[in-house]
Amino acid sequence: MSDKVVVIGGGIAGIQAALDLGDMGFEVHLVERTPSIGGHMAQLDKTFPTNDCSMCILSPKMIMCADHPNIVLHTYSELDGVEGDFPRFKVVIREKARYIDVSRCTGCGDCIAKCPVKVPSEFEEGLTIRKAIYLPFPQAVPRKVTIDASQCRMITQKKCGVCKKVCKAGAVDYEQEDKLVEIDASAIIVATGFEVMDVSALQQFGFGICKDVVTSIQFERILCASGPTSGHLKRPSDGEEPKSLAFIQCVGSRDAKSHAYCSSVCCMYATKESILAGEHCPGIKSTIFYMDMRAVGKGFQEFVSRAQRSYGVRYVHSRPAKLQPGKDGKGVLISYEKWGPGGEPVTEEFDMAVLCPALEPRSNAEMSSKLGLRVDSDGFLCSSDLSFPVDSTRKGVFVCGFSSAPMDIPDTVSQASSVAARAAELISGGGC
Amino acid sequence: MLMPRIGVFICHCGHNIASVVDVEKVVEFARGLPNVAFASHNLYSCSEEGLGAIRKSIEDNKLDRVVVAACTPRTHEPLFRRNCERAGVNKYLFEFVNIREHCSWIHAKEPEAATRKAMNLVAMGVAKAGLLEPQSEGESNVIPAALVIGGGIAGLAAASSLVSQGIETHLVEKQAALGGMLNEIPVVGPEMIESKDLIENYKRALECSPKAHVHLSSRVSSLSGFIGNFEATIQGGRCDEKVKVGAIIVATGGREFVPNGEYGYGSLPGVMTQLELERRLARGEIPKKVVMIQCVGSRQPGRELCSRVCCNASIKNAIRILDADPNAEASILHRDIMSYGTAAERAYKDASEKGAKFYRYGLEKIPSVKRKNGGLSVEFYDETLDELVALDADTVVLSTPILPVEDVKEIAKMLKVPVDKYGFFLEAHVKLRPVEFATEGIFICGSARWPSSVSECIAQGLAAAAKASIPIREGKVVIEPITAYSDPEKCIACGNCVLACPYEAIEIVLMDGKRKARVNEAKCKGCGNCVAACHNDAMEQKGFDTRQLAAMIDALIKNALEVSQ
Amino acid sequence: MSDFNPTILAFCCNWCSYAGADLAGVSRLQMPPNVHVIRVMCSASVKPEYVFKALSQGIDGVLVLGCHIGDCHYLTGNHRTAKRFPLAQKILRNIGIDERRLRLDWVSAAEGEKFQQVITEFVAEIKKLGPNPLREVRL
Repeated sequence: MSDKVVVIGGGIAGIQAALDLGDMGFEVHLVERTPSIGGHMAQLDKTFPTNDCSMCILSPKMIMCADHPNIVLHTYSELDGVEGDFPRFKVVIREKARYIDVSRCTGCGDCIAKCPVKVPSEFEEGLTIRKAIYLPFPQAVPRKVTIDASQCRMITQKKCGVCKKVCKAGAVDYEQEDKLVEIDASAIIVATGFEVMDVSALQQFGFGICKDVVTSIQFERILCASGPTSGHLKRPSDGEEPKSLAFIQCVGSRDAKSHAYCSSVCCMYATKESILAGEHCPGIKSTIFYMDMRAVGKGFQEFVSRAQRSYGVRYVHSRPAKLQPGKDGKGVLISYEKWGPGGEPVTEEFDMAVLCPALEPRSNAEMSSKLGLRVDSDGFLCSSDLSFPVDSTRKGVFVCGFSSAPMDIPDTVSQASSVAARAAELISGGGC
Repeated sequence: MLMPRIGVFICHCGHNIASVVDVEKVVEFARGLPNVAFASHNLYSCSEEGLGAIRKSIEDNKLDRVVVAACTPRTHEPLFRRNCERAGVNKYLFEFVNIREHCSWIHAKEPEAATRKAMNLVAMGVAKAGLLEPQSEGESNVIPAALVIGGGIAGLAAASSLVSQGIETHLVEKQAALGGMLNEIPVVGPEMIESKDLIENYKRALECSPKAHVHLSSRVSSLSGFIGNFEATIQGGRCDEKVKVGAIIVATGGREFVPNGEYGYGSLPGVMTQLELERRLARGEIPKKVVMIQCVGSRQPGRELCSRVCCNASIKNAIRILDADPNAEASILHRDIMSYGTAAERAYKDASEKGAKFYRYGLEKIPSVKRKNGGLSVEFYDETLDELVALDADTVVLSTPILPVEDVKEIAKMLKVPVDKYGFFLEAHVKLRPVEFATEGIFICGSARWPSSVSECIAQGLAAAAKASIPIREGKVVIEPITAYSDPEKCIACGNCVLACPYEAIEIVLMDGKRKARVNEAKCKGCGNCVAACHNDAMEQKGFDTRQLAAMIDALIKNALEVSQ
Repeated sequence: MSDFNPTILAFCCNWCSYAGADLAGVSRLQMPPNVHVIRVMCSASVKPEYVFKALSQGIDGVLVLGCHIGDCHYLTGNHRTAKRFPLAQKILRNIGIDERRLRLDWVSAAEGEKFQQVITEFVAEIKKLGPNPLREVRL
């Protein structure tokens, strides 16, 4: 009988921790809130500094998780509660009703085609729609549809029922209920990642006011070939290809009124997005408005140089004060102060602007209360002892990836493997 | 004999391949190739949908060999092999054609030529696939022990994790004490942890476990073998010790770059590096007016790297100085402050509130340091204020990058692992495999890979320990069937293959009274050196045999030469 | 001659040069589309017969790319490749094939740019040499 470990969060951190723990011989229960594992990395077009296609490098890991003899996936599931202590936690997982019998669903998509309800797609950051019965994205793992109960006409009003009629596999079950699964786990890993801050609260950046101001994660979806514009760089107001692009760093980060911390990855991803924009629209003029250009990792400085040299990206050391709609609601007028020689306030016009919002640790408040963990002043889960950076304040519970601190993919993967080591150490009773 | 039924699957890879290569044209072309029973395309072959479609096609068309034309086999070959197995096709009746890294990505502006080349490459792959033979995998044992090279914080974390997991571990450290660079840095930021406590916390596991073997003042002088079966010679004690291990972790750390006279280093008193400042602070010598200059010897032409940790080190030391003497003056001249994350950003704010001053300078006009009134003066052009500033100082600290240790090339050669242009070890994949080498069984952590903060070194050390423990826990590794074999009918026992083999895996033995070469499969590493050394075409390598390679050449000739004119 | 598009074969070893070629791809370093890679485990496994077969049957150029001396994944493989190479060139000279149609070079896994450089240079050189005269013989 192998020892069981519960991993909460199915993004790259949770996936890597699950794979390592599974390879090390533990029985892993990977719990993911959305219908598919993959997290934010699945939404990215490319990853810096190599510009690897994100889904290409992530997808095999997702499939390995699904195929792994030691990993049990609980998708569309949440942590309901935990009792007990290390080494015997009683973890209760709530598998939310998908209203689909997953043993019958083949992921064929016939139901999706016929569903009449359109809802903004979370995966596509609201840029296009999904149906009430849906697959979050084409490479979803597991490839099973889910019915969003709050939007489904049958479940809310007892009308429609088209999906059941067209499903040849007989997989639709409107009577399905949430299922509680109890797991006797020796360790728990928190890998709940981040969510992008709601920037409409920071009105000066014009999100929701200017049509042509988008968030960086929306921009990723626009760049992505499998995204809402099939990879064509188009600005929202008129669908035209932008000739000039602005990136605004630190929107809500390094800001005493919002989030004091630095989200760590934005300087690099903005550089990446400016390079990708240059590849999609040769000759496009991109400007990155930044405070400090944090290109601290392997190959990062060379990546920034490449953006400047080969794509003409202009780096302006300034924090824009205001973004406003351009003429006829198209384009963006950005007001900023030029530092250095001749420093004076300037307003410049751009066809489109991309905001790099603060990345907030998702679910930390919930994890903290359900698991009794301490969070720091910025909302990140603390470690018990600074010598043991991935140990939480509760023995047997470990934290990795963005839930512990803002970090990029390689650091997340390292932390994920490190919690596997720490969990294994504790479970085998090692140390003194 | 039944003719092979090859299935060819061309991948779009989203728009990575399809935006340059006309995928449908390649599919059409593939249908016309010899022995191809079925050809189609997938948007993402490696997705569940793509893999499922391949399996279904195998079943529906009774395919017995599969060719996938997509990205590089170096990442996804195992995935597709397993997929074949699931569909009932032997894993080794599979051939991967690279039309992305080797085609669409490098010929982006020549779609027609790229499509032609993709066709040629697919024809070559199909030709090889038709001649592949089913293989089965062998197994090799794994010695349940590990070697960690380097006893700094990364190596300590790795070794302590391994022994805590119950794995016999040899930790080799060239100095007389464990701790590496941390021994020179009493307090680490941004959390202000005492290094000696940190080192003690990790040494504890080593001290109380009989599974830990710590070799101080020692070096690994030679290494041979492969995953599961490495043999290392540790030199340091009275005599050399040979150890056998299943996995190796490289944690050789870095060294502080010493300036070549820049900013008056070596000629002006009071100009020192950060480590030299650490020594002074440890002795209680607190400067009254310190100016720290960031990015000395880094972020410049010829050495573009940002050493990641120096801004935070300067901030930490500025805080220590101002805490010790609130009347002291601390200024930091920088080109960007790299206080990424949470704790480092808090420390930056803290330092500012305590009175540290931050000035931004540019690469075009770097600061200059001169003597002034028995002390020093630092003159620089402040980009934000747009004016020339002169600061008096009694101490000028130069923040220089961490670079790999001097003998890194020797270590890399001994382990047969690659390094980048700076000498930092090159991991298997910069994003998803940061602590692994491409060579199985060897792992990397800490500043030997890239300058890393203490908590990053610890996380990487633990990560490497997790990875290293996997084959050890499995107890065995699968031998890829790419080993060599000799045809006794053709072998004339000339012995060339024996000499060519780097692993002494071939012997001349008596077979039916005649002397013939025989390959020891467990020792054979599948390099193929013997194949080219054999003058009688007796030696072949599974998966890379002469007929297969000749067929690939023929396919290229047929498709490229006959068509182009 | 100006529209001569050479057909070139390159043997790349799995550990160094094939990885270097992959890196060139990932870095999107552009190069002429004339070179077709055959993956082998070690440059020393490339039998001279493959080179002779290719060149005698009309292929315009052959590249053999391995790890740098001292860095061979299999310890001594590339030393053998290096020793074998001048002999192969001598044979080519003696049978009337321009020995410049065969090139040996070392590309490490970190050298995407070097791969691009070698490919670009070799294609340019082969273009100057013109089509392999043995093409006509074969056809």
